[in-house]
Amino acid sequence: MSTTDWRCSYFIRTRDFGFIMRVQQTLLIVAVLAASAQPLRSQRDRGYDSSVVSQVRIDLRELGYPPIDVIPSDESAIRALAVAPDGRLYGATSGEHSHLFLLDPQHGYVEPLGTLAGARAVHHSLVVGQAGEVYIGTALAVENNAQGYEHYLGGHLLKYVPAEDTARNGIRIEKACPVVDLGIPSKGQGIYALTIDRSRGVIYGLTYPDGEFFSYQFHPGAVKIYGRVATNIMPGEKFENEKAIGRALALDQDGNVFTSGEGGRFYRFDVKTQQLEHLEIGVPAVPGREVYNRVDAWTADVDGNLYGGTSDGYLFRLNPARLAVVNFGKPLNQYRIRGLVLAHNGKLYGIGGDDDEMARLFSYDPASGLYELLGMIDVNRRPYYSWQGYVFDAMEIGLDGTVYMGQAERKSKLFLYYPQ
Amino acid sequence: MYRLAKLLALSSVILSGVAWAVRPPGQTTQVDFRVFPGLAMMDGNWAALFAASDGKIYAGLAYHGGDGHLVYYDSKTDRMHDVGNVTALCGESILKRGPQSKIHARFGEGKDGRVYFGTHAGYWWDYARFGTKEGYPGAHWMAYDPKTGRVEDFGLACPNEGINTGAYDPVWNRIYGLTHPRGHFVYYDAARRVAVDKGRINNFESICRTIGIDDTGNAYGSFGEGQVFKYDPRTDRIIELPLRLPVRPKGISLGRDYDKSETAWRVVVWDDETKKFYGVDESATILFSFNPRSGEVRRLGQLCIPGFEERRDVPYATLSLTLAGDRKLYYAAAGREFDYSGSAEPATSHLISYDLKTGKTEDRGEILLPDGRRVLGTNAATTGPDGTIYLVGAIEVRPEGGKPVEAAGKIGNVYYRLAMLIFHPDA
Repeated sequence: MSTTDWRCSYFIRTRDFGFIMRVQQTLLIVAVLAASAQPLRSQRDRGYDSSVVSQVRIDLRELGYPPIDVIPSDESAIRALAVAPDGRLYGATSGEHSHLFLLDPQHGYVEPLGTLAGARAVHHSLVVGQAGEVYIGTALAVENNAQGYEHYLGGHLLKYVPAEDTARNGIRIEKACPVVDLGIPSKGQGIYALTIDRSRGVIYGLTYPDGEFFSYQFHPGAVKIYGRVATNIMPGEKFENEKAIGRALALDQDGNVFTSGEGGRFYRFDVKTQQLEHLEIGVPAVPGREVYNRVDAWTADVDGNLYGGTSDGYLFRLNPARLAVVNFGKPLNQYRIRGLVLAHNGKLYGIGGDDDEMARLFSYDPASGLYELLGMIDVNRRPYYSWQGYVFDAMEIGLDGTVYMGQAERKSKLFLYYPQ
Repeated sequence: MYRLAKLLALSSVILSGVAWAVRPPGQTTQVDFRVFPGLAMMDGNWAALFAASDGKIYAGLAYHGGDGHLVYYDSKTDRMHDVGNVTALCGESILKRGPQSKIHARFGEGKDGRVYFGTHAGYWWDYARFGTKEGYPGAHWMAYDPKTGRVEDFGLACPNEGINTGAYDPVWNRIYGLTHPRGHFVYYDAARRVAVDKGRINNFESICRTIGIDDTGNAYGSFGEGQVFKYDPRTDRIIELPLRLPVRPKGISLGRDYDKSETAWRVVVWDDETKKFYGVDESATILFSFNPRSGEVRRLGQLCIPGFEERRDVPYATLSLTLAGDRKLYYAAAGREFDYSGSAEPATSHLISYDLKTGKTEDRGEILLPDGRRVLGTNAATTGPDGTIYLVGAIEVRPEGGKPVEAAGKIGNVYYRLAMLIFHPDA
């Protein structure tokens, strides 16, 4: 029962070839025939299967074409995904270098598009415009107690235009992705989250480590900063140096932008008044823990409701017009809801689990109010054999209903989930 | 199915005939042994065996569901010592959480004479308790000082995870580890007293079981499908080398645990003379050499018991490989798939040697104790400063009427307990 042998109850007792050397040939044939008649059970056990996502509903993709044209370890943590209007999925990685990649659902494989010069982190900062152009917000690092930011010039807003990337064939791992640098939205700040209002031609963003809220107007290409969602360091030990900045932004049907900020309160950017507002409503939290709580992920339904997942692991619905919050509780006995999408079957799918926990997938049916816990996330097929993902930090849904899940570890892959 | 069975049966006959032809009938290897007094319940040992320069032989004894123990055998006084319960040494007895059930990786000796190691968990409960309040708190980096008899706890190595694989590098005074289940490469820099997590190397089911360290302090391991990574302490970076080990494609074996890795090296040893690693792969016990300077990997043979070479049911490689002073590699091969009480049936281990000077492989026969009892499997080997070879493994326990059986459990219907095995190559 060594660690790599931790489910050893499925040894096949009848296949004892060891004694074959010591018996007669006749007995050998009988013995082997007997052995061959036994069912082969060299699959992982059924008990474990029940603790992971159903294997006919999940798959994964390498981040390129191994062994050479693949985004390497230490550069492959997926912390940003976005689906273009034409259904293409774009992703950005974090690590020693950031890479941009593409998955065309018709093609099915990940195409690395090159490195993002100077970038080491792209955190929830990838959006696609109406014409398919991709906007990328870069950072030095995030959630590292702001280490290194004292000398950091600032994260860049980059633009990748697929139609202009005419030399896309060939190995791109070592090459720079052809992007247009739209500049640094805020000096000394990394970009922490982005959302896009395609109809108004504007991108909204949050910065790290100071939680500034900014906009970038496509025309004339101007950045405006509206204030901060957090000004004070969260209560904590002396080494802690983080502000309670929402980890994602949501756009409502009227063009208002929501996130969370200091004190676990919602913040709204009112598109009419062009003001960043501290709202009196709070992110669902255990009483007393409000100051630590923030929104990790958002999605929206066709009625205009926003759904969010919190760092304490709660799922909630926010009616942006009435500013009414409904707390649906915690699907998991874990922190964080790091990804959230509304699938074509009407259910919400989310991923829970902090960096030192085991990520788990769940669904929530708003119609019935029922949760379904779908289990740990792994893909059990050759050549992976139970490739487990422990940390996920991005989730998107494709036009065909495929749910994309970005693994965010040193050695990461893109997972695909197919809801019923 | 019938054709397959017949083919298997006939090939077994042919191959087993060859195997017996290369070894004198009845040849066995007799080894001396020492049990671990008061620790009969200890149920396994993997890799955690080390012969220090002062003649003390350290071993980590595993106890699934309970507290592992650190012990050492003083070869000068012929006495076995129990340093202690590892959970208690980590100061965690009061936690009532997942215990420190194992030392599951190699020890190493520092220039300060201390013996460095990392700790590990026993059960993982299908990961249902991973990261929970009742789960395993995480491995500790530690050092035992033979001068004072005290263990220093350097603290938590990795929250919620164990040190599945480890090695100590005296050049840089660091303990390296690969964690379970997340497969992170971690180390503790004892000189700077800093713990570092470099992130995920591989998947849990194929974490290689030995980190090899060369004479300049570079650390190597295998990952993926027979690939090799290198950690350079000068740059603090991990790179993946364009090499492939001679491994049998996964999926061939029958009856092996599904999650048992078959794509990595199982064990390697460093040879300071040739500046090469020698190792065996997990799946088919393929012996290879790896020259880290030139990047050359050479297949040298197979160290499984003769007759198993091409068979689908070749036993999973053990961790019992050591290089002795006579320039021979000694390997204790399992007689069938062996994993202590997880083994389906007992079979006797063989001692296999490979002569680095001549390239000759020799099956030295079944390993037996002086009273004829069988060695049912081992998973660690080391060579002492005087050339004595030590192994730790499961020995057969024969119940005596009227006496309680002192055993860790059963392999098939045979009781076993752990023992340190002592073999003198030149005897």
